Amino acid sequence: MSKKYDVIVIGAGNGGLTAATKMALSGKKTLLVERHNLPGGYATSFVRGRFEFEASLHELCGIGPITGVGALKDTFQELGMYDRVEWVEVKEAFRTITLNDENNYDYALPTGKEAFIEKAEEYYPGAREHIEKLIDLAVQINNGISFLNNIKSFNADTVKTVFDEHLNFLNIASYSVNQVFDALGTPQPVRDIFAAYWCYLGVDLDELNFIHYATMFHSYIVDGAVIPKGRSHTISCALLDRFEELGGEAWFNSDVKKIIVKDKIAKGIVLDDGTEVLADYVIANASPYNVLTKMIDGAEIPKFQTQDNNAKQLAVKGYAVFLGLNKSYEELGLNNHSYFIYDCADTKKVSELSKTNKKCALQATVCLNKAIPDCSPEGTSILYMTSIFQGDEAWKDITPENYVKEKRRYANIMIDDFEKATGAKIRDAIEEIEIAAPVTYAHYNDAPNGTIYGFQAAGSNSIVHRLMTMAMGDKIKNLGFCGGYTQQCIGFSPSYQTGMMAANNAIKYLEKEEASK
Amino acid sequence: MKNKLIPIKSQGADFLNTVKMIPERLKDVKNASDKPAMNPEKFNVNMVSAALHPKKQTLKIKKIDVISPDVKSYYFTWVGSQPLAYFRAGQYLTFQLEIDGSIVTRAYSIASSPASALKGEYQITVKRVNDGFVSGYILDNWKLGDIVTSFAPEGTFVYESIRDAKTVMALAGGSGITPFLSMARAIDDGTECFNLTLLYGARNKDEILFKDELDAIAQRNPNFSVVYVLSDVKSKPKGCEKGFISAELIKKYAPVNEKYSIFVCGPEAMYNFLHKEIPTLGLEDKYVRFELFGVSKSTLKLDGIKPGTYKMTVINRGEETETTCNGEETILNALERAAVKVPVRCRSGECGFCRSKLVSGTIFLPETVADKRREADARFGYIHPCCTYPTSDIVIKIN
Repeated sequence: MSKKYDVIVIGAGNGGLTAATKMALSGKKTLLVERHNLPGGYATSFVRGRFEFEASLHELCGIGPITGVGALKDTFQELGMYDRVEWVEVKEAFRTITLNDENNYDYALPTGKEAFIEKAEEYYPGAREHIEKLIDLAVQINNGISFLNNIKSFNADTVKTVFDEHLNFLNIASYSVNQVFDALGTPQPVRDIFAAYWCYLGVDLDELNFIHYATMFHSYIVDGAVIPKGRSHTISCALLDRFEELGGEAWFNSDVKKIIVKDKIAKGIVLDDGTEVLADYVIANASPYNVLTKMIDGAEIPKFQTQDNNAKQLAVKGYAVFLGLNKSYEELGLNNHSYFIYDCADTKKVSELSKTNKKCALQATVCLNKAIPDCSPEGTSILYMTSIFQGDEAWKDITPENYVKEKRRYANIMIDDFEKATGAKIRDAIEEIEIAAPVTYAHYNDAPNGTIYGFQAAGSNSIVHRLMTMAMGDKIKNLGFCGGYTQQCIGFSPSYQTGMMAANNAIKYLEKEEASK
Repeated sequence: MKNKLIPIKSQGADFLNTVKMIPERLKDVKNASDKPAMNPEKFNVNMVSAALHPKKQTLKIKKIDVISPDVKSYYFTWVGSQPLAYFRAGQYLTFQLEIDGSIVTRAYSIASSPASALKGEYQITVKRVNDGFVSGYILDNWKLGDIVTSFAPEGTFVYESIRDAKTVMALAGGSGITPFLSMARAIDDGTECFNLTLLYGARNKDEILFKDELDAIAQRNPNFSVVYVLSDVKSKPKGCEKGFISAELIKKYAPVNEKYSIFVCGPEAMYNFLHKEIPTLGLEDKYVRFELFGVSKSTLKLDGIKPGTYKMTVINRGEETETTCNGEETILNALERAAVKVPVRCRSGECGFCRSKLVSGTIFLPETVADKRREADARFGYIHPCCTYPTSDIVIKIN
């Protein structure tokens, strides 16, 4: 049996959900297929005992400040689901700590440009001037991006505007965070404060593109971050709800084995039970790595597309410990929402260290109750700790037999590090614990090698390279991609946006086809 | 407004470096291999994931121990190329069976040690439940050499050293012994490392399962001990306790001046009794864990149950089928009776595998079953059919 749809979206992750909803909103007959029994991909939650744990989201940018306007807010409003989620503003930015340096730092910063600068000045007199310069650059970059996003075509006026207002943005595009710090003479403490979020992108500051980091910093600090009530699963449910309301069809427990490609044109999909479904266009929220290595016959893939895929490296593997604690955050002294605990201030060294799992090179840890006090029963709290691993070495020797012991060993290291860094004693309060290791991400998300960040955003595959070259080369036709592996790199907000971009491309194609008939 | 230029290297070089990014990327693409990259299923991480979480397991019954006509142990080995999935002592297997045109599932704790899975063996023990549809079928029909289907091991009723005390007081009743037998065996063979004190309740000595083996492990392994608690005996048998497992008995055998955890697995009556006893011990909740046992017949006495036959419309991958459900059975039961394949594991509302959308209609979720749905699932109309009863005609989307 073979049904015909305008578009099939493979995978109900963040990108797949926005892509499918946008297609349905445009009146296209849309089928969304998901291998799991619920939507969201990484944007999900799970229940253990009396706790519901957030699976991945630390803070969401692009929504806040809730009274203001953010890009993702516009998208969710356009899709008609913004009001189905209750958004809670996160007022603290982060507390960033080093553990094993000769002189360790420990800084806690709020969100909001002025408040952030003031606090930084307290920690390091003279920081104001340096941070203002960096934020000013971040603002210029942000303005540059929205300018480019909104122009229809280049003419004398737009070129003049680019050279008058956005030249710094263009000039800076090829440089790493550290290259910009060096050029601006940014002192170390200011670097430590300004770049605290770097682990969210999984690339050290010698490699990480400045524009990439600055836009993220801008959205967290200048615009502000939020958390949805009911975990990120609420966003996933709300998007699916809206998609179905618009007439979209969603199939769960439906694993796509093959994408049907004939003459280098995508024609449909085959599910694992052999069900074949045809469509005029396919959008894959599945990882392009998996799509191009196991879902499409190699002979059907244009050479450029295979080489392009091969010229990318899989990004870091993920690891997380979820703790349900039987005391309140006040009792435990969990005074911050978001903690970054780094082995040392040298991000290159931290990255090196994260190539093995002998020590914990870094952790990004969230106490959810600090943002949403009633996210767990009264007198309890939720803490989740995330770490990442570079390269192929860590978890290479894992076996089914040693798996539980190995992941527990690493959890113990992270818990010890957390206690040591923050002074909060949490171990005796652990009522529920769940551990997600790279194997878990491979299991739930079919992540190649357990990566949680798609392709490494470094070298010639930085976000800027991706955006500049995304329309180039010979690729399978009528097959779009969205999600964290694609042009905007990883992160909640970007992956929702890639779904919109993929949908817009599909709509453009389908409408052209319609017009030519 | 003109922005002040911020040179990084020099103004000219900066712009040029930006322009160079495109050829830089294209050069790397050109130099990359034109052969497809490694199949992701070949990464060790993905192979371990596949080994631990096979979608289904095809098992062959290699041995049956008849303990009594109503209690049998089944030993399975693997068929085909996929070895048995490893597991944690205390986890269960969910079997999928076709009985008289229904597709049904049941979860059984694995009684063998995880180490035996590596050698190609699982053991479960099935006890006949009063008018139990599936247990009766298994006991009367499963034969040596039969091929059966299970899902991968699941469950959170396991020892976790980061969370639990070093000593676990295991309270078992009836066939609820099986997860603890697995734990005792795992302690004995070195897979697990904690102290397990088993208080095993039975009516009389004849009802004790695996007594010889439990005694032997207790004899040779200092980390395991067992006390039989017999209720239907006139006088206290030697080396046993008489009565029920009570707070007083737990205290008698628990470590003094040291924290301990309590794990409970047994029949509903035992749970009801222990729910009154255990709180008197003053332990923090984190140290008390009950294994699930699904919804029980006593649910039917609750006020929320609305007897009657209702129309049930099932949506599965866009196809609608109509069948009936009954106010005195769970929605999952009705689905299985109609031979609808539903992803199911725990049958107790916890695991969330059967999560489905209630498109229309009303339901009753018994207060005796903890609502383990995600907050957003409850808000957006999702239910766990395994512990939910219909109270009107319903439309349910399972896939």
